[in-house]
Amino acid sequence: MTTRRSMHTDDLIKALSASAPAVSPLRSPHARTATWFAISLIYAALVVVVAGPRPDLVVKLAEPKFVIEVAAALLTSMLAAAAAFCAGCPGRPLWERFAPLPALALWLGSLGTGCWQSWMRAGPDGLSLAPDLICFPSILLVSIVPGLLILAMVRRGAPIAPVTTTMLAALASAALGAAALRLFHTQDASVMVLVWQFGSVMLLTLVGALLGRSLLRWPQEGALE
Amino acid sequence: MRDDATSTDRRDRDERWRDLMRSAQGGNSFAYARLLEEVTPVIRGLVRRRWHSPNDVEDIVQDILLSVHLVRHTYDSARPFGPWLGTIAKRRIADFARKMASRRANETTVAAMPETFPLDEPKTEQDISDDQGEVRRALAALSPPQRQAIELMKLQGLSLEEASMRTGKSVSALKVTVHRAMKAMRRILE
Repeated sequence: MTTRRSMHTDDLIKALSASAPAVSPLRSPHARTATWFAISLIYAALVVVVAGPRPDLVVKLAEPKFVIEVAAALLTSMLAAAAAFCAGCPGRPLWERFAPLPALALWLGSLGTGCWQSWMRAGPDGLSLAPDLICFPSILLVSIVPGLLILAMVRRGAPIAPVTTTMLAALASAALGAAALRLFHTQDASVMVLVWQFGSVMLLTLVGALLGRSLLRWPQEGALE
Repeated sequence: MRDDATSTDRRDRDERWRDLMRSAQGGNSFAYARLLEEVTPVIRGLVRRRWHSPNDVEDIVQDILLSVHLVRHTYDSARPFGPWLGTIAKRRIADFARKMASRRANETTVAAMPETFPLDEPKTEQDISDDQGEVRRALAALSPPQRQAIELMKLQGLSLEEASMRTGKSVSALKVTVHRAMKAMRRILE
């Protein structure tokens, strides 16, 4: 930094243009989302197969409530990934960063509806909460590989919004983990899913936001030499 | 980016910059030099409008140019160039403000720096030389990482973040190192 400070701006321009080899432009956020989602989906499917799909999976896939919930989680994952990639491209519109919100609302809404139906059916007993400690590590296990992959991919972008970018990247990975968990963990009480699974996703998203400034920084100036 | 150009001029200029950046991404250093030369006054104008201390303007302009250079692969030539450049510039101005705020938080403001206590005799040349010698000896007694941390942050005046970038150590690790180094030096000097 001190060397640059003593440099005249015209000299800096000369130095920069003299050390500017050809670069391959970053692929569009949509193309990178497609790549990430395809690889991550394959990995999540493998985890479901290895962990063993829930015995009633075929029956559950015929239930609209279950399908909506899993689809909303997958959609949240995909849109959050797209938003994370967009957030690393300077000059793109800000609304893109909010793209996963409708899917997130649909997911939360489907869980909320489930809680409401349980309450109507069984009163307070329908909302009884018991520890389900397997959710957090399971979601973490499924989301760790997609998480590392998306981190490597967003680091190719510009760190203009580091907190938002890593928050969205963490949401993308954790939502995929939660969707996969629904396919191999037999837990259907909406309140349990809301607290332990959706809660884990929110926690991982928060951790992602907190790590933003450490994980995404402007490259060191030494990169010039 | 706001300047005196009319909207048509601005559109033409944006297209020219877009073409220049496309060529620069392909490795054309002449196009890149021309682009940087053309955008620098615009960046400087933006910084002047947003930053009140004229002494820092050129530093911020250089930070922005360097950032543009480091992330030039993120420019998509299907999109306008102005918003891409403007976002980087505004982001780096905000980063500079944050850096200044953290540096100020580590500094103590006093009306006049006391050289000696009022009741003490003024220091002689010999006293000053002895003190410097003591400090040099205390510095030499530190471990190499501690000495480096003191040199960067207390002698060269770098912020924690800058020292972290320079050494590759985390900010919290540096904080601990400086704290321990200061404690060790105090012990040696007592």
